[in-house]
Amino acid sequence: MKRNRILLKDVNLYYSSVAFKERSLKSLLGSFMKRDPGKAVIHDVHALKNVNLEVLPGERVGLLGHNGAGKSTFLKMLAGLYPISGGLRIVEGTVRSLFDLSLGFEPDATGRENILYRGLLLGLSPRFMRKIEEEIVAFADIGEFIDYPIKTYSAGMQVRLAFAISTAVGGDVLLLDEVIGAGDANFMGKAKRRMLELVERSEILVLASHDFPTVQSICQRGVVFHHGEIVFDGDVKEAVSTYKKINGVSA
Amino acid sequence: MRSNTHFLPDSVNTVYQARRAPSAAGTYLAGIWNARHFWIHLALSDLRSRWRRSFFGVLWSIIQPLGMTLLLSLVFGRIFKSNITEYAPYILSGMVVWDFVLATSVGGSLAFVQGDAYIKQCRHPLAIYTLRTTLTNLIVLSLASLSLVAWVLVVMPQNFGWPWLAALLIIPIVGMIAWPLATVLAYVGVRFRDVPHALGLVFQALWFVSPIYFEPKVFRGGNLHALVDYNPIYHLLQIVRAPLLHGRWPTAENYAYCLGSIVVFSVLACLVGSRAEKRVIFYL
Repeated sequence: MKRNRILLKDVNLYYSSVAFKERSLKSLLGSFMKRDPGKAVIHDVHALKNVNLEVLPGERVGLLGHNGAGKSTFLKMLAGLYPISGGLRIVEGTVRSLFDLSLGFEPDATGRENILYRGLLLGLSPRFMRKIEEEIVAFADIGEFIDYPIKTYSAGMQVRLAFAISTAVGGDVLLLDEVIGAGDANFMGKAKRRMLELVERSEILVLASHDFPTVQSICQRGVVFHHGEIVFDGDVKEAVSTYKKINGVSA
Repeated sequence: MRSNTHFLPDSVNTVYQARRAPSAAGTYLAGIWNARHFWIHLALSDLRSRWRRSFFGVLWSIIQPLGMTLLLSLVFGRIFKSNITEYAPYILSGMVVWDFVLATSVGGSLAFVQGDAYIKQCRHPLAIYTLRTTLTNLIVLSLASLSLVAWVLVVMPQNFGWPWLAALLIIPIVGMIAWPLATVLAYVGVRFRDVPHALGLVFQALWFVSPIYFEPKVFRGGNLHALVDYNPIYHLLQIVRAPLLHGRWPTAENYAYCLGSIVVFSVLACLVGSRAEKRVIFYL
């Protein structure tokens, strides 16, 4: 049997600076012609520095860190979206990631159609999506609007539908980035329960959040990032206090 | 910092990687196949949005080349003193295939930029985004070809016969040429957004030196045999023109040039893709 796990060894990740410097042929040619000494030099961003981590089945890991500490980059690296510049990355199991829920809607298509499209994006088959469609419609609970084009939706309705679709299917390895909490108060409670169900069904959870009570209630293990490095890895309560100490937040 | 516990011994890691490496191409193709529902959906939704709220809708892909052909054949027919009824389908055949190549290349060069929302969220093989562009345009090409077939059936019914089966091969052949070409352009295009503009120029130049609208006799008359005989575009078009316009089978040479183009572009796409695929997300 395949074992779900995450294993990272000396992982480094750079955002290469060429990506946000010369974007056109003109500026590339221009840069050969003259060197402007006054211009600020843009370096590669060293986003993750020598990250070592092993996550075994059954573990719930919370990621803590200031903005730009590398939490999201870390999750996207786990999902295989970002290439690592060095080290070893092994992620085994079906990865399901919830990063930006509102991406990938087609404004001119109806809610129902978008349920199918989003499912296809996640790599599911049309047959499977038809099977779970009613369940998603019921959860989103946006009434007759489900048969209207998405562009007629309010922002809140879009979030509800996106949430309902994205959380309909779980995975062995679940990666979450600040997605708990969507829609109005009524929906919030429902969303939170569903999230917890999803978390329970998954074997491994890695969650990035600034919401300490949630992190502490879900996770046992806490990892603190500081400027791209893991500065603490251990019990979640200690992780929270470490985070507060490093960032000068009063407890 | 707590140093991390229980790592596997190194030997296990190397075994893991060694198992992966040799089947990289196979894994990649399997990824494309597994995502088939997704890219087919993208292609169809491109078509839907193209024709949404237009009165003629899908008919436009037939009307447009037909109208253009009428216009061009009237003018060129006079200039080159060609028989209009026979020259018009010549232009039409050149136009539908050339439009496909042009649309797929220019659209393909923007394929990654267009699909950035998906690329940033889900890890599918990037070649599916150029496959989407290719598939969309293949469907348009198939529709546009109907007008060509209808025209030839009316004007030159004597050409109808078994060789027409060979003309069907244009769809897979031109698709297999355009997909890797679009993929290469997409990698360049995501780095340099100038590509679509540059392509406009390049394709205009290619159009000018190829027997697409102009007949081969025009080039031969100017002692420019090479522009016909060694031109892959000429040979590609012969796949349709030989059967439809002359009632003949395409020659082995025609197929050889097409196969050559497929191989060249595929190898190029694999080379570029294997180096650049992972970095694309940084450029979006």
